Amino acid sequence: MSSLKMKPTIGSRIFDTCNVVFMLIFSFFMLYPFVNLLALSFNDGVDAARGGIYFFPRVFSLDSYKFLFQNDKLYSGLGISILRVVVGTTTCVFMTGLLAYVVTIRNFSGRKFMRILFLITMYFGGGLIPTYLLMVKLGLINTFNVYWIPGLLNAYYMLLMASYMEGLPESLFESARIDGASELRIYFKIVIPVSVPVFAAIAVFSAVGHWNSWFDVILYNSNGKWDTLQTYLRKLLLEVEALQQIQDAQVAYSKYRNISSSTLRAAVTMVVTLPIVCVYPFLQKYFVSGITLGSVKG
Amino acid sequence: MKSELAQVSVQPTSRLQLVKRQIYKERQLWLICIPMIIWVFIFSYLPMYGIIIAFMNYIPGKPIFSSDWVGLLHFKTFFHSPDFWNIIRNTLAISGLGIVFGFTAPIVLALLLNELRMKRFKRVIQTISYLPHFISWVVVASILFALLGNEGFINDMLLRLGIIHQPIAFLGEGKYFWGLLTTTNIWKDVGWATIIYLSAIAGVDTEQYDAGKVDGLGRFGMVWHITLPSIRPTIVLLFILGIGGILNAGFEQQLLIGNSQTREYHEVIDTYAYKYGIQLGNYSYGAAIGLLKSIIGLALVLGANRISKKTLDTSIL
Repeated sequence: MSSLKMKPTIGSRIFDTCNVVFMLIFSFFMLYPFVNLLALSFNDGVDAARGGIYFFPRVFSLDSYKFLFQNDKLYSGLGISILRVVVGTTTCVFMTGLLAYVVTIRNFSGRKFMRILFLITMYFGGGLIPTYLLMVKLGLINTFNVYWIPGLLNAYYMLLMASYMEGLPESLFESARIDGASELRIYFKIVIPVSVPVFAAIAVFSAVGHWNSWFDVILYNSNGKWDTLQTYLRKLLLEVEALQQIQDAQVAYSKYRNISSSTLRAAVTMVVTLPIVCVYPFLQKYFVSGITLGSVKG
Repeated sequence: MKSELAQVSVQPTSRLQLVKRQIYKERQLWLICIPMIIWVFIFSYLPMYGIIIAFMNYIPGKPIFSSDWVGLLHFKTFFHSPDFWNIIRNTLAISGLGIVFGFTAPIVLALLLNELRMKRFKRVIQTISYLPHFISWVVVASILFALLGNEGFINDMLLRLGIIHQPIAFLGEGKYFWGLLTTTNIWKDVGWATIIYLSAIAGVDTEQYDAGKVDGLGRFGMVWHITLPSIRPTIVLLFILGIGGILNAGFEQQLLIGNSQTREYHEVIDTYAYKYGIQLGNYSYGAAIGLLKSIIGLALVLGANRISKKTLDTSIL
């Protein structure tokens, strides 16, 4: 904190110790819910109903996972979720990046117009119901397209990306333009390679948003054809569905006698959570810089 | 591109021709822009226009203007509905608790993190603290069901310790809902919200701390007299935005964690508008409530901004 050396006082040392202890307790509270669910998901279903599972499974069993991975609904939900993340994130990142590039070209006469056109959408919107009615009119209800088309361009992401691109030297594009390169070519060959950090940050935000979104699925795709993993988990949370599936399973294959709705839910929760948990620590540098960029921009 | 412009202006041409030529020069860029303009018009500006159904009795399937105009009827209906005060109470209570606790918690956590001497330890704690931000509300609901259910961790502990003799229905009784939601919101986003404060703290000039040391400030004094005043603009900015969002008391949380037993305590403006507007098909009524909410939100941001400009000399606009 300081360049001047000074011997820490006793009070200061006590504070440091308390602070470290506090941080350890804090991390425990952040992590424990996941640990508890992980233990539950590996426990025998009948035994789990007795309660008292804290850190480790008491009667180890893989039945919940075995059952899950024989379940078509899980696979279709997983597939649709992955497809949504891939399609939604790539299209959003490349299109919004292109928009950000266009509004940073210094001599472009439409630059200000485009900027304002999109900035207005950050502060004013139609709200839930007019938007819903529009989706109905456009025929996007109960289609996969509703997951990515309405999210193609994002004014906030545009601001973040544009503020990064403004820091790039103009000469980088100017020479390519003189050589007769098209704008799209400049965007793909020059802008994207030198803007990787901000593209990565936006990709993290967008991908997490797509993976986690639940409400737009039940709002726009209520017929269940395009159910994502999140909606599948939600249906299991409504107990009835979980029980029904377990009963079906027990009729179908008697080997899954040992799962219960609570262990099944825990297992699905882990399947939904683990991909993110495994990936996010490695992307920390990008999303932190993305947030910081946003705060500078105000 | 500048040299091209200069060339154009040398030639004696009319303004219109000049504009035409400019657009022709920029045709590539405009070709990129046109689809984007169409997109934003459809997906952002058309719904704004759609708000007029708030003043009509809109019937789905018919063209908008064949519906009857009803003026402010839907707004009046909302004010006089038996649920009105209940919804306002819940909305303000949940976001009020969010501002009191949810707003201050990340500031305190950021200051404490900043005091950690072991940089690696600090980084690990930070990474852990971001984790809950990355999971969906569906997963959070699942975690709550598992931890707070009758056989869940919390009830089991309390029973074993003899503090209670009957499991508490945390999720099944309305009176626990506000506290539960506030705690969950903090758990989910406290770490994430520290990012912005930590970056503000990192921007504080280290010379100030050296000067403070010379003046004999202790660690607490440094935080109080140097760090906090330095990050005040960030705090004020986020506070103003928080005030503007006071009617945003959450949405998915309520739908996922709430149930029919907690309705009296969890129904907020947004869930009410969704329920009446979409689930019950009363589109005009729902749109009216949504519009009312945005107008109040905008007025609150402008008001809070004005006050902060006068008293703290910080403004977001």
